[in-house]
Amino acid sequence: MSKILAITGAGAMSQAMRQINPDVVPAFPITPSTQVVEDFSQFVADGLVDTEFITVESEHSAMSACIGASIAGGRVMTATSSAGMALMWEMLYVASSMRQPVVLTLINRAMSAPINIHADHSDSMGARDAGWIQLYSESNQEAYDNLIMAPRIAEASDVRLPIMICLDGFIISHCVQTMQMEDDDKVREFIGEFKPAYSLLDTENPVSWGALDLQDYYIEHKRAQHMAMQNAKESIKLVSEEFYQCFGRKYELFESYCLDDAERVIIAINSIAGEIKEVVDDLRNKGEKVGLLKIRSFRPFPYEEIAESLKSAKIVTVLDRSESMGAYGPLFTEIRTALFDVPDRPMVYNRMFGLGGRELFMSDIQNIFEESNRYLENGKVEKVFDYLNVRGG
Amino acid sequence: MNDKYKLKDWQELPIGGVVPEGGNSADYETGTWRTNRPLWYEENCIQCLTCWVFCPEGAILLKDGTKPNGQPRKEIKEINLFHCKGCGLCAKECPVNIKGNKIAIELVKEEI
Amino acid sequence: MRKFFEVRWHGRGGQGTVTGAKSLSEAVQGTGKYVAAFPEYGPERRGAPLRAFNRFADEMIRIHTPVQNPDVVIVVDPTLIGSPDLLEGITPDTIFIVNTEKSAENTKQSLSINSQKLYTVPANKISFQLFNKEIPNSALMGTFAKACGNIISIDKLLEESEQIFAKNLGSELVDRNLEAIKKGYESGEEI
Repeated sequence: MSKILAITGAGAMSQAMRQINPDVVPAFPITPSTQVVEDFSQFVADGLVDTEFITVESEHSAMSACIGASIAGGRVMTATSSAGMALMWEMLYVASSMRQPVVLTLINRAMSAPINIHADHSDSMGARDAGWIQLYSESNQEAYDNLIMAPRIAEASDVRLPIMICLDGFIISHCVQTMQMEDDDKVREFIGEFKPAYSLLDTENPVSWGALDLQDYYIEHKRAQHMAMQNAKESIKLVSEEFYQCFGRKYELFESYCLDDAERVIIAINSIAGEIKEVVDDLRNKGEKVGLLKIRSFRPFPYEEIAESLKSAKIVTVLDRSESMGAYGPLFTEIRTALFDVPDRPMVYNRMFGLGGRELFMSDIQNIFEESNRYLENGKVEKVFDYLNVRGG
Repeated sequence: MNDKYKLKDWQELPIGGVVPEGGNSADYETGTWRTNRPLWYEENCIQCLTCWVFCPEGAILLKDGTKPNGQPRKEIKEINLFHCKGCGLCAKECPVNIKGNKIAIELVKEEI
Repeated sequence: MRKFFEVRWHGRGGQGTVTGAKSLSEAVQGTGKYVAAFPEYGPERRGAPLRAFNRFADEMIRIHTPVQNPDVVIVVDPTLIGSPDLLEGITPDTIFIVNTEKSAENTKQSLSINSQKLYTVPANKISFQLFNKEIPNSALMGTFAKACGNIISIDKLLEESEQIFAKNLGSELVDRNLEAIKKGYESGEEI
């Protein structure tokens, strides 16, 4: 039976892992993702899953063990945050390039220094080129749903890429929220069996992994990987549609909230979308044409679809929660690229917010819409890039 | 070079750089690396197979034969020059060569 | 009518404040409301002042920011009385629930509040009697049911709490916690 319950985001992720019942989970704890694997290790100890749980000595080893177990033919999951993923760095590329559909829960946390444990997206945005599918989640429910869909999306035969499900540290991971948890059997039926392309343990059909690949082949392998990531877009759509048929919650590559006739649009990622929706509702009640576009799939990035959705927009504010020192925010550069080919493209500008967990209140979001209104009336964006809620301006 | 090792387009590649079969190094010609060629003198060879043990490429090929007393044994058939890299270990380890009266296997400069 | 019913807890690290907020949300979840509970994580130091929050609503709660205008302020540690942080963003309708053995009149003065409704409860004393240590959160949940019966009745709170506690505690500790809730409900004094 599915049930409504109050649970933390991290707790919801461990419940999804229990339902998926992966073959192997190698893990190393780091705040704020610790509760995911802590709860899961309890499920292992209680015999609720058949998983081989490996307590490794570092995140580098965690990802290495994930890759090894995946190559052996297992369905593999782990979780980490921030510095933990940074230590996995080398192996992130190995996982994606060896085309292993490893599933990672990434609880977004700021990169040090100064040391900080709170939410921003500098960890996952830094890994945007590592060849992993990246799905982002606004709430506990979305994070749970994304994780249930993750193995199917990643394991599709024309994709076979690792996937990370991202959610904001503490804001979502440690917040008790009401959500619907689906029935164990129904989830397991939805997930199905993992059928690896090749298995290292298949001694009847021996294969070699990790061969040297120089000028004569490396670029062809990268070209094939690029295609797989393109295919992931279709896989995300297909699995999301099937999820909707099964469980009744609809997901697309991005969420369009009051976008149809919106003139002023905010584009954002993860939990801040909740506050933006509240403000959009308030302003809509006052007759203002405002809307939100919330990114779900950042890799692959849906350029054409986003351009299509912003046809009526006159001005777009892109909120980035990750610095790219010396450049605009990573989301902004993608959005501006997506808009370049749109005839009568809207004005677009970038605001940096929330680094290291700094709050952005609903009043701040109202201010953003007021500012974009001013820019629209003046026909000119005064500051393409600026910080929000920072002392000293 | 075997035709199946013709360079492939990216669409034809096995996923993730996998080599989807075993034992295919036999198809790879390492004989082109050779600057010294081994010559084997069957008349001086005592069929001890020390060279077969030491050869890193498996280039010493064997056949079935018989001992002078009629018992079956393996004997050297030939040296496989498709794989032999000319390292010279066979000649260095050969006990006939070490004894010094005769030469059973020797390396000579490859010449075109 | 406000969209959210919001609670702000003020305690110190190690007193079970965060657990109290989470348990309260889990219990109110049982009434069919949408809930949220989250702490304000700073450096996690035993004894340092900390805050935790609850939101209850009849629809999905989409906001995550700290509670700015609380409907209820719960003071878990009596030594925090007098801190100006307790009064941040309060309205004339804000209800205070304070863990103290002092009289309600006296407490009202120390808090420097005027029109706001105040409940006092000797939650440390109740806890000490039942557990031989100071974990005041269960008793404070009981007082919450007295002050905010419109959110959760004492009967429903006891019913839900039994299940919530049973997930982590043995039956004897569950019973003692339920007893603490009852005592908190009974000894809550309104002014």
